[in-house]
Amino acid sequence: MTATTTDTNPLALDFCGLRFASPIVLLSGCVGFGEEYTRVVGFSNRDAGAVVLKGTTGMARLGNPPHRIYETPQGMLNAIGLQNPGARQVVEEILPTLDFGETRFIANVSGSTIEEYVEVTRLFDDSPIDAIEINISCPNVKEGGVAFGNYPEMSARVVEACRRVTSKPLITKLSPNQTDIQENARRCIEAGTDAFAVINTVMGMAIDAEQRRPVIGNVQGGLSGPAIKPIALLKVHQVHQVAQRHGVPIIGQGGIVSARDALEFIIAGAAAVGVGTALFYDPLVCRKINEGIRDYLGRHGFGSVAQLVGTLELPGAPAAAAGRAAG
Amino acid sequence: MTEAAAKDRPHRGTIFVEDAEVLDVEAWPAEQFIMRLVAPQCAAHARAGSFAHVTCDPALPMRRPLSLMRADPGSGVIEFLFKIVGDGLRLLAQRRPGETVSVMGPIGRPFTPTPGRRRPLLVGGGVGIPPMVFLAEALGPAARDGLVLMGSEVPFPFDPADSRLDVAHLPQGVVAAMPLMENLGVPSRLASLGGFPGCYPGYVTELGREWLRGLDAGALQEVEIFACGPTPMLKAAAALARDFGLPCQVSLEEYMACAVGGCAGCVVQVNTPAGPAMKRVCVDGPVFEAAAVDWGAMQH
Ligand SMILES: Cc1cc2nc3c(=O)[nH]c(=O)nc-3n(C[C@H](O)[C@H](O)[C@H](O)COP(=O)(O)O)c2cc1C
Ligand code: FES
Repeated sequence: MTATTTDTNPLALDFCGLRFASPIVLLSGCVGFGEEYTRVVGFSNRDAGAVVLKGTTGMARLGNPPHRIYETPQGMLNAIGLQNPGARQVVEEILPTLDFGETRFIANVSGSTIEEYVEVTRLFDDSPIDAIEINISCPNVKEGGVAFGNYPEMSARVVEACRRVTSKPLITKLSPNQTDIQENARRCIEAGTDAFAVINTVMGMAIDAEQRRPVIGNVQGGLSGPAIKPIALLKVHQVHQVAQRHGVPIIGQGGIVSARDALEFIIAGAAAVGVGTALFYDPLVCRKINEGIRDYLGRHGFGSVAQLVGTLELPGAPAAAAGRAAG
Repeated sequence: MTEAAAKDRPHRGTIFVEDAEVLDVEAWPAEQFIMRLVAPQCAAHARAGSFAHVTCDPALPMRRPLSLMRADPGSGVIEFLFKIVGDGLRLLAQRRPGETVSVMGPIGRPFTPTPGRRRPLLVGGGVGIPPMVFLAEALGPAARDGLVLMGSEVPFPFDPADSRLDVAHLPQGVVAAMPLMENLGVPSRLASLGGFPGCYPGYVTELGREWLRGLDAGALQEVEIFACGPTPMLKAAAALARDFGLPCQVSLEEYMACAVGGCAGCVVQVNTPAGPAMKRVCVDGPVFEAAAVDWGAMQH
C-alpha cells in the first residue's frame, strides 16, 4: 500500500487506504484519548489527518509514580508507564464518544506478552477504529515495549501475531534504541506490517544534583522534542530506504515543531508527519504547519504532499525526478 | 458539531490561548515576583483555584503552570505571583512591560466552598499564597467569620501590617496581617520561622490548630479548610482536617506538559471507592479533597 493523493486538497493523502485530510498525525501519549485537546479554543482534530490514542494494554494500568515528566534542553523526558483504562474500556466507553467525522483515529497497542498484543489488537479490530499502531518501542515499562522492539526477531513475532487477527491497517512503531533499524524494518515488512511510525522516544535520564536523586520516578524516561530531531530524521531516511521498495509508508516523528521540520521528514521519506511534544508549547501548531506545507508545495510546484515524499537528493546520486510518489 | 454533540462535550472550547501583554513586573525579596498581564478571556473565565499555562521564553520547549492570584473580568487583567525556581521562571521574571507571553487558561477544577460552612480557614504557604488570595477575594464578606493564614520562611511578597480585626484564641502577639485581607474585612494572620515581627513563630498549620481548638462544637461544624502550598504543609493541613473532622480542599502542583489532560504527566495518586487511581492535576485538579489524596505516594 502506498501514500498517494486522492483529491484537490494538496495536503490530503491516502495512507494505507485511509484518507488523511493533512499529513499531520497527532502522536500517541500526547493527546490522551482524542478529546483532551478540544478543550482549547481554536484547536480542532480536523486539522490533523489522524489522531493516535494513548498506548492501550489488555488490563488497566496505573502507570509509573511521579515525577513522570521533566523539561530538558530542547526537549523533555517522560515516563508515564502506559497509564490506561484497558482495551475493553477504551473500545466500549471511549470510542463511542469520538467524532469519526473529524479525523481518522488510530489505536496504539501495547502489551507485556505477545498474547496481550494479540488480545488488544483483536478488541480494536472489532471496533470502529481506523487503524492499529503496534507500540513495540515504549521505553517506560519493565516488560514488553522495547524488550520486543529492540530485537528484529521479537518485533517480527509481535507483528506477525497481530497481523493474523486484524485486516485493519497495521502500523509498527519502531524504537531508535536499537542497533539495526533497517533489519528490524525488513523483518516487520515480511511479518505483514502495512506502515511504520519512526521514531519513538530515545531513552534518557535526568538527575537532581542537590538531592542526588533521579528526577523521574521511573529513573529513566523517553526523550522527545527538538532534541531528538536529527536522530529521527536519520532513522526515517534509513527505514525509507528499506520500506520504499515495498510501498510501505512511514509516519515520521521526533521533534517536529514547524512546517520546515515536517518538510524535512517528508523529503527524508515520511508520507505523514507526527506532532507530539510541540503541542505542549503551542496547542494551535497544526494550523501553522499545514499552512507552511501548503505554501512550500505551491512555491516548489508540487501538486501534493505525496509528490514530495522521499525526494531527498543524495550526493553523487542522480537527481531524483521531482513529483515521483513515495514507494 | 451538532448541538447534541456539543452538549455531550461540555469540555470543548473552555481553555483560551491569548497573546498577553505584560503590564508590570513587581520584584519582592527572595526572588518573588508579581506579574500583571492582559488576558481578557482568561480573566473572564477564571475561578479561585484556576491556573494558566504560560510560555516563559521561546527558547524553552515547555510552558509553566502558574496559579492565578487575581483575574479582573472588567479590565481583562490577570495576576500571577511566583518565586523563581528553575530556568523557566527566571526567564519569565525578565519579561518587561509591553512584551507578550502566551497565556493558556483558565485551566482546572476550582475550589468549591460547601454551602453552610461559613467559617472558611484558608491556609497558604509560600508559592501557595496566590489561590488563597483569589479565594478570599471571591468569598469577600462571606469569609468574615473565617480566617486567612499565610506562611512563609522568606519575607512575604507584601508589606504586613498589624491587624485591626480581632481573632479569638490566637497566641499573644500574633498580630501581623495581610493588608489586602484587612481591606476586605477578612481576618488574617501570618506565620514564619524567619523571625518577622508579629508573625506566629511556627508552622502555619499549627497556628490553624490553635484557632480551631478555641472554637466550640457548633462553630467547628461550620469550618472548611482550603490549602495551597508545599507538600509538607498540605500534608499537615490534611492531618489537621482529619483531627477536627473537617472537610478540606487542597490545591496541588506537579510538573506539567500539556495541561489539558492529554499526557498523564502530572498525576497524583488518590484513593477512590474502586481502589487507587492516578488523577491528572491539570484537569482532574488542581483542587482535590485532601482525604482522598494518597499522601504517602506523594513526591516532595
Ligand atoms: C508524554 C508522552 C507520552 C507518550 N506515550 C506514548 C505511548 O503511549 N505510546 C507510544 O507509542 N508513544 C508514546 N509517546 C511517544 C510519542 O508518540 C512520539 O513518538 C515521540 O514523543 C516523538 O515525537 P515528538 O518529539 O513530536 O513528541 C509518548 C510521548 C510523550 C512525550
Ligand atoms: S499536564 Fe498533561 S495531563 Fe496534566
